[in-house]
Amino acid sequence: MDFLAWLQGTALATAVAETIWAYPLLETLHALGMAMLLGSLGLTNLRVMGYKRELPLIGTQDLLPLAWLGFTINAASGIALFTSDAIYFFSSYTFRIKLVLIALAGVNAVILAHKVFREPATSAGAEAGALAKGLAAASLVFWVGAAVAGRLIAYTP
Amino acid sequence: MSFLAWLESTPIAAAITTSVWMYATFETIHYIGLAMLVGSIMLVDLRLLGFARSLPLPPMLGLLPWVWVGFLINVVTGSLMFIYNATSFGMNKAFWLKMTLLALAGINALVFTVAVARTGERWLAAGQAPAAIKAVATLSLALWLGVMAAGRWMAYV
Repeated sequence: MDFLAWLQGTALATAVAETIWAYPLLETLHALGMAMLLGSLGLTNLRVMGYKRELPLIGTQDLLPLAWLGFTINAASGIALFTSDAIYFFSSYTFRIKLVLIALAGVNAVILAHKVFREPATSAGAEAGALAKGLAAASLVFWVGAAVAGRLIAYTP
Repeated sequence: MSFLAWLESTPIAAAITTSVWMYATFETIHYIGLAMLVGSIMLVDLRLLGFARSLPLPPMLGLLPWVWVGFLINVVTGSLMFIYNATSFGMNKAFWLKMTLLALAGINALVFTVAVARTGERWLAAGQAPAAIKAVATLSLALWLGVMAAGRWMAYV
């Protein structure tokens, strides 16, 4: 709690909480980052699951920089939003669920990357294995779940 | 009674006002619709601009139905949220900015559709969009970012 109280007292937290434009600006960036992340990972995961076989499986790796950019934007904007009301956010169960879902998505992504992309099939129409398809489906559930949980923080305990 | 006041007096508006979960649910679904719409149009626009070249253009343009599904979801959820608070949203400058940007994004999409129908066979298979199409794609990215930002700002003006 001491750390959270300190966080909430930093200049960054005060700026986010007290200027008119900082909060909506950070929220807009957070929505943009989410669209980057869900757009790029959504297509990648759906392709692993067998959607749009005209796209080469290996080619979806080109989308990774967009996913990382979205993740970085959202880590930065998310931390700034968090500091503005750190004690409240930390005590929110919905916020904690969101963090758990992101952690699960991260672990899932590492396994998926090893399963699918380490020795990738390069041709269009290449088919991922059943385990990889399951992991891709789980990834979609985790990321959509994280977005839903994030939106519901304001409405739930 | 004005149209907006009438909207607010409809049973739909009353149901949303009385319910504890409806507004939060619409907002969450609106967020998922945004991810589908902006996430997929961003992939198409970035691909037109030369990002992720190992993904062939024709199947990437095949992602556009996702934009329509996201758009329809957001028209429905957006209308419901508007009805709930019509007189207030009707006076909200950020709301009218959002509608203006949406209309411009629609015109831009129409220009894109006509241009692809007329000239697409000259460049689609080669995977390299001409400069005019790149300009349309850049404008599309800017307009959708503006729509998101104006939407977020509605809560703050």
